[in-house]
Amino acid sequence: MPEEEGGSLIHVAIEAETLFKIGPLSFTNSMVGALLASVLLLLAAWYITRRSALVPGRLQSALELPVELMTGIVAGSSSRWRGYVALILGFFLMILVANWIGLLPGVGTIGVAHVDPETGHEAMIPLVRPASADLNFTLGLAMVSFVMFVYWGIKANGAGGYVKELMGEPLYMAPLMLPINLISELSRLISLSMRLFGNVFAGEVLLATMIALAPILVPAVFLGLEALFGFVQALVFALLAMTYIGTAIAEHHTGGDHAADEGHASDHSTAAEAAAT
Amino acid sequence: MDSNLAAGLAMGLGAIGPGIGLGIAVSKAMEALGRNPEASGAIFVPYILGIALAEAIGIYALVVSLLLIFVAA
Repeated sequence: MPEEEGGSLIHVAIEAETLFKIGPLSFTNSMVGALLASVLLLLAAWYITRRSALVPGRLQSALELPVELMTGIVAGSSSRWRGYVALILGFFLMILVANWIGLLPGVGTIGVAHVDPETGHEAMIPLVRPASADLNFTLGLAMVSFVMFVYWGIKANGAGGYVKELMGEPLYMAPLMLPINLISELSRLISLSMRLFGNVFAGEVLLATMIALAPILVPAVFLGLEALFGFVQALVFALLAMTYIGTAIAEHHTGGDHAADEGHASDHSTAAEAAAT
Repeated sequence: MDSNLAAGLAMGLGAIGPGIGLGIAVSKAMEALGRNPEASGAIFVPYILGIALAEAIGIYALVVSLLLIFVAA
């Protein structure tokens, strides 16, 4: 194993480490990260609703920017976007903050001493781990979105319509298409959670490796890169959840719904352009 | 040691396909943007979704190599 040849400079643990235990439940450092992200979001929400001005100041504009960007995109996705815009926004903001927490100084470097009872190795457990670098967190989010797009599919087309959708178009092909469709539904769960976890965890490993290799100046480049990736991954998760819900709703619809989408597409593009400038 | 080599191979070989796919997706998006800059809003969302799906293959390779390093070793 690599730990024995001075590999201890690079601290990599694929699972979140336990800080302390409450009965059978263990409290891990990724839970600290998730709580921190929630507290930050709640503080931002509290601040913005308490003293929101009609003409926003700098801080208020900065806080409103991601919300407006995401609302603009969701509004262009379907004519029934109001039903799920809150969920998508919640995904986006939570993942964005959870990703960016990993870039703060002190996260991953401040920790508590821990001696492995079996080998006697001394190691440090970081006090905070970005929540999205823990598979439990990303799988939890993916399960919420899975339940939501199945729920929306059933709500839009009825339970019979949903099953019919799974069985495919010519009914005699159902024995072949049903397993394929079921697997493809379930693989969304895996790919959603693994994509987010893999990206954020790989980013953490990359940063740790770069800091160990060249501690001065070089990690700054990768920090910038990770800031970009954190944003893109939050966007990707939210957009995929939105698309899955959107397709679940839009099944079996013709003509009218499409025309409504076209109308929305134009104001969505102006919103995206406004955000880009 | 074997599993470390396997992990490296899995990641390296697994990154070839997504790399090519992402290159094609980005080049086509830039081409479309160059032809019609006004379409940036309409291109943006499908573009992000497309690169996310292409990238997922690379992430599967990453997951396999992580499994090889942390679980199989």
